[in-house]
Amino acid sequence: MNIKLEKLDNFRWLVPRSGNMRVPGLIFTSKDLLKDIEQDQSLQQVANVATLPGIQQHSLAMPDIHWGYGFPIGGVAAFDMDEGIISPGGVGYDINCGCRLMTTRLKANEIRPYLKTLVSALFQNIPAGVGSRGIIHLSAKEEAKVAVRGAAWAVKQGFGLPVDLERTEDQGALEGADPSVLSDRAVKRGLDQLGTLGSGNHFLEVQVVDQIYDQQIARDFHLFEGQVSVFLHTGSRGFGHQICDDFLKEMGRKASVKGLALPDRQLACAPLNSDLGRRYTAAMACAANYAWANRQVLMHLAIETFLKVFSLSPKELGMELVYDVCHNIAKKERHRLEGKEVMLCVHRKGATRSLPPGHPQVPEIYRHAGQPVLIPGDMGTYSYVLAGAQGALDKSFGSTCHGAGRVLSRSQAIKRSKGRAIRRELEDKGIFVQSRGKRTLMEEIPEAYKDVSQIVEVVHQAGLAKKVARLRPMGVIKG
Amino acid sequence: MTIPDYTLLNHTADLAVRIRGADLTDLFENSGRTLMHLMFGRELPCEGSALEISLQAQDLDDLMVRWLSEILYLLEGEHLVVTTVLIKAVTPLRLHASVRTVPFDPEMHEILSEIKAITYHQIEVAQKVGHWEARVIMDV
Repeated sequence: MNIKLEKLDNFRWLVPRSGNMRVPGLIFTSKDLLKDIEQDQSLQQVANVATLPGIQQHSLAMPDIHWGYGFPIGGVAAFDMDEGIISPGGVGYDINCGCRLMTTRLKANEIRPYLKTLVSALFQNIPAGVGSRGIIHLSAKEEAKVAVRGAAWAVKQGFGLPVDLERTEDQGALEGADPSVLSDRAVKRGLDQLGTLGSGNHFLEVQVVDQIYDQQIARDFHLFEGQVSVFLHTGSRGFGHQICDDFLKEMGRKASVKGLALPDRQLACAPLNSDLGRRYTAAMACAANYAWANRQVLMHLAIETFLKVFSLSPKELGMELVYDVCHNIAKKERHRLEGKEVMLCVHRKGATRSLPPGHPQVPEIYRHAGQPVLIPGDMGTYSYVLAGAQGALDKSFGSTCHGAGRVLSRSQAIKRSKGRAIRRELEDKGIFVQSRGKRTLMEEIPEAYKDVSQIVEVVHQAGLAKKVARLRPMGVIKG
Repeated sequence: MTIPDYTLLNHTADLAVRIRGADLTDLFENSGRTLMHLMFGRELPCEGSALEISLQAQDLDDLMVRWLSEILYLLEGEHLVVTTVLIKAVTPLRLHASVRTVPFDPEMHEILSEIKAITYHQIEVAQKVGHWEARVIMDV
C-alpha cells in the first residue's frame, strides 16, 4: 500500500482511511522527523492497526515511531470494551518495559572524581546481560505474589519504602493479575530474573540534571541543575517475553478459526470480553507487576551501591524516587469520546502515559504539576523529564513519546563502529560505560538513534507533554 | 555445528534474516543453526545430551516460528545450549527433531546478541526454484 499523508498542522499528519481501515491513522511528528518515518514500514503498521475491531478515533503514532512487529513502536490505539480486542503484539514482548528516575542530594562535581569507582561498583552489584540471574530466587508460590502485588511485594521485602508506591504508575500493580493463567514455562523463566537489568537498549545511568526548562515544575519534581540522578530503563525480562509468546501462539490459532483477516500475524488478538482476551489481560498484568517489582529491587541495589561507595548515610545520600512509568502496556482507562466518558483499553507500545495537572491518577504531590513523564535517551545522549499535559488527554488518549527510536539497524551500527574505540569516545565526553555484551556498545552508538531532543520538542509543541528538564549521562551500565 | 547459509536483511529495530535450504529438512536444520550462530557468533562443538522435540503447527510459517521459539526457550528457560540439530521428519504441520544440548555456561558461551523472541511479523517459508527459503524477524 502506498500511503499518502495529509498534513493537518505542523505536528500532525493524517493517514486517510483506505482498504480495511476502520479509522484513519494520525502521526504526531515534524517535517524533519517524517523523512525517517517514511523510510521504513511503520506507516503501513499504523494502517494495519486501524483495521482491528473496536478501534476508536485514530490509530496513533508518536514522533519516535519506527518499524516494529505488529504495532509500530511508538503506536497507541484505544479499543471499545465490548467490541474491541486486546493484542499481545500491541504491547510487545517486554511487557511493562519502563523507566524509573531517582534523585539524590549529591552534586555532579562532588562525585566526578569517584565516577569510575561508582560505575564499576554498580556494574558489580546489578546483574546485567543476556539471561542474567538475580540475587533473589523465587519459589513459584512467591513469584505468584510478585505477579499480583508488584512493587508492593518488593517494598514488603525491604526493597524500598511505601512512599515509592505512591510515585509509581498505578502504585506499581495492575489490578486483575491472575498467576493461575500462566504457563509452566512463563513461571519458570520468572524464578531467577527479578532484580536484573537485561540487555539491548536497557540501562542504568548515573546522570546529571543538565538543563531546566520549567523551574516551578522542576522544583515540584525535586530536580535542580547540577544534581546527580539515577535513571533506570528495563522491564519484565524473560517472564514477560514468555507470556507474550504463549498468548500470540494461542491467539494466532483462535483468530484463524474465527476467520478474522489479519494484515500481519503478529497482530493476533482476542476480543476483550472473551475468555482468551480476559486470560491474556490477567497474564499481562502479572508481567507488568513483575516489571514494577524488578525496577523497585534495582533501585534498592543502586541505593546500596551509592551508600557503600560514598560512605554516606541514607539521609545524606537522599536518594528518592521521582517516578516510575511504563511504555509497553494495555490498560483499561476512562477517556472522553465525543463528549461522553467511556472505558477503553488503551494499548501503548513504545508510548508513555501523560496525565495533566489535576488528574486524579497523578500522585497528590505532583497533582498541580502533572504526571512526571520519563524519556530515556541512550548511552551518550540526553534523557528528558517532561510533565503530562492536557493535550495528551484531548488528542492521544493520555499518551506521549517514549524515547529516541533507532535510525540505524544493529548491523549498520556495528559497521559504523568498526575501528572506533567507542568506550574511549564516550570517556572523552565524560561518560564512563561498562557493558557485559561485546557488541552492545557498537550496536548502541549514539548515532544509531534519532535525536531524542527533536522528538521531545515535537511532543512539547504539540501539547502532549511539557519539557521540564534535560539529564546528561555521566556513568552507564548496560547488559 | 557448521555455519549455516543465511543473510541478514535490513531492519532498523529488530533482526531480520533470510535462511536457505536445499529442501524443507535442510531449511529447518539451517534455521536452528542460524539462530544459534546469531546468538553465539561461532561454531559450537557438536556435543551434549540428546533431546527429542516434536511440534505441531497450523501451517509451515507457524511451524518455523514454533521451532525457533523452542530452541530459544531451551536456552532462556532451561539454560541449555543447542549444539547439534537433526530434523528427523518435517511436514507443513509437524516436525520431529533430535537436538544435542549442553548446560549454558556464561564463561564458555558468550552471547553476542540477545534474541528475545521469534516474531510472526512478515514470516515466510516458501519453495523457490531449486531450494527453500525462510524470512524470519526476531525481536532483539
